[in-house]
Amino acid sequence: MRVTDLTLGLLTLLGGFAIYISALDFKVIPGQSYGAGTMPRAIALVTVLTGLFIIVKAVMAGDRVPGLRLADWTRSGAAVMRMVVVLALIVLYIVVSPLVGFLPTAFGVMLVSMLILGVRWPVALIVSALAALAIQQSFGRLLLVPLPRTEFLTFLW
Amino acid sequence: MSTVIEAASLVFQPYVLLVILGSAAFGMFVGAIPGLTATMATALLVPVTFFMDPVPAIATIVTATAMAIFAGDIPGTMLRMPGTPASAAYVQDAYALTKKGRPESALGASLVFSSIGGIFGTLVLITASPALAEIALKFSSFEYFWLVVLGLSCAVFISPGSPARGLISLFIGLFAATIGLENPAGAPRYTFGSVELMGGIQFIPAMIGLFAVSEVIRSFIKRGADVRPPPTSGGGIFREQARNLVTYPVQALRGSALGTAIGALPGAGADIAAWISYAISKKFSKTPEKFGEGHVEGLVEAGASNNGAMSGAWIPALVFGIPGDSITAIVIGVLYIKGINPGPMVFITQPEMIYAVFIVFLLANLIMLPLGWIAIKGARQVLSIPQKVLMPVILMFCMVGSFAINNSVFGIGIMLVFGIIGFLMEENDIPIAPAILGLVLGPMLEQNFVTSMIKSQGSFIAFFERPIAAGLGLFTIAVWMIPLVMLLLRRRGTMQGV
Repeated sequence: MRVTDLTLGLLTLLGGFAIYISALDFKVIPGQSYGAGTMPRAIALVTVLTGLFIIVKAVMAGDRVPGLRLADWTRSGAAVMRMVVVLALIVLYIVVSPLVGFLPTAFGVMLVSMLILGVRWPVALIVSALAALAIQQSFGRLLLVPLPRTEFLTFLW
Repeated sequence: MSTVIEAASLVFQPYVLLVILGSAAFGMFVGAIPGLTATMATALLVPVTFFMDPVPAIATIVTATAMAIFAGDIPGTMLRMPGTPASAAYVQDAYALTKKGRPESALGASLVFSSIGGIFGTLVLITASPALAEIALKFSSFEYFWLVVLGLSCAVFISPGSPARGLISLFIGLFAATIGLENPAGAPRYTFGSVELMGGIQFIPAMIGLFAVSEVIRSFIKRGADVRPPPTSGGGIFREQARNLVTYPVQALRGSALGTAIGALPGAGADIAAWISYAISKKFSKTPEKFGEGHVEGLVEAGASNNGAMSGAWIPALVFGIPGDSITAIVIGVLYIKGINPGPMVFITQPEMIYAVFIVFLLANLIMLPLGWIAIKGARQVLSIPQKVLMPVILMFCMVGSFAINNSVFGIGIMLVFGIIGFLMEENDIPIAPAILGLVLGPMLEQNFVTSMIKSQGSFIAFFERPIAAGLGLFTIAVWMIPLVMLLLRRRGTMQGV
């Protein structure tokens, strides 16, 4: 998923303008001309200049139409699916772990990850279970990180 | 002297020594896995150091990174897959030696000269830091402003790819640093009413996302390719190294010195040091034609250089609070969490802590020799762990690590967002290191910029009125001008050619 130089320049330019406009309302330090908006505006200014530089360079190199070049992996449905799944698993962990606890969620996330990567069932099951338990024991028990607990597994904490 | 004894008593405790041993093993493991970098080792360790006292926390990171940078040579030598970017410069020579049936020669040279480079860099760190700290005490907001800008500029211009892409990365980091309440006016910025965002972007989940999660995503796309290491023959790791030391003393010294100097430059790290040292070694070699064919000379120089750089990077980090590379950028975050504010004052207020860091550095580089020997011997087993089994476990470590910072799933959300940003950045050849530096140095840049502007009542001339500030300012502007001059020279050369 690679954008062309012209697109990158345009995105940078737009980003710079967006930061500048959003920073216009930030408060100043009482009695001073500077405040919360000074730094974002300075960043915006240099971002706009960088965007313009990239656009000019791209146009000089013959790049005329903004576009997106798809990487080789995007042509493989399976590769795209694996990428979507790994992102979905992180979201799933955020949503589900406070409800059902760390151990079942971590086990599930690792198991699914290994299976979609092509690890055989028995290996995936054993490694996921052992890794979830090892992480829970090291972080949850030794380092006292309050990992979400599961009702029927509290004896492990 | 009493400070040194106090520092030694902080380090030579069973718990700290055990931590050093454990993190050394961890660093070796991470460094030896292709695709996992020394920076990633540091990122994964940060949540663990959160629960430690300052000395073991720093010892953990120092030891793990020193080991990881050496261990990166192991898959590079055996599989032509550099374990860390710092090993990429001389991987051709190291692998060629393996093909000739001499992996021990390559790995032995890497190990011994990594240790030499690391110790050299530490000695420079010990001698130069206190003197520089005294100078730094005289710095005002103007000098610090230029120093931060210089560090950020170096990160942009030295990073791989075009400087424009480096700048984009830097702006992403600087923009992320503006989020939250922590600004001169104390007003909320880009928080969208979220209480969590008022505290700003948590540095550690962002960094785990940029470095580790982006790599995990890439590995899922590639479906974690498996590797098969060649068998290693017995013994002989140290056998040739005494002879190499006698044959290439200048190369070892030059690599160590240059690596330390490059590491000390804000923004430049071990990988750049290794590339430059390898190129210099070839340039001054009596047998440059042998480079790339399994010649140990470049390996000696670049191997010493990358570990020298690792120590050198701590000079600006400790003295000015400005990271020398992405690892020390993370370390500065850890130091702040531990209540140690890196900068010249730390040499006065907590000198025992600084000396403890020096001792840890020496220990890490010495312990590298026996542990490196074990790692080389056990490399086959480590390299045999399939990535498709390893990556899901690393992903879980990333999530738990991001959660542990504030005991909130919000950290995992930040990790996810920055993981996607890091992935997209790398897909578009935008380097990640400037973003990290921007995130770390953003608040310092803002504070010194706004303070200077208020002091000077908006006059930019004041930024050049003090001698050191003027020197730093002119040097920074010169750094900006280099690409322009190079472009003009190239144009002129092309036109003359026509």
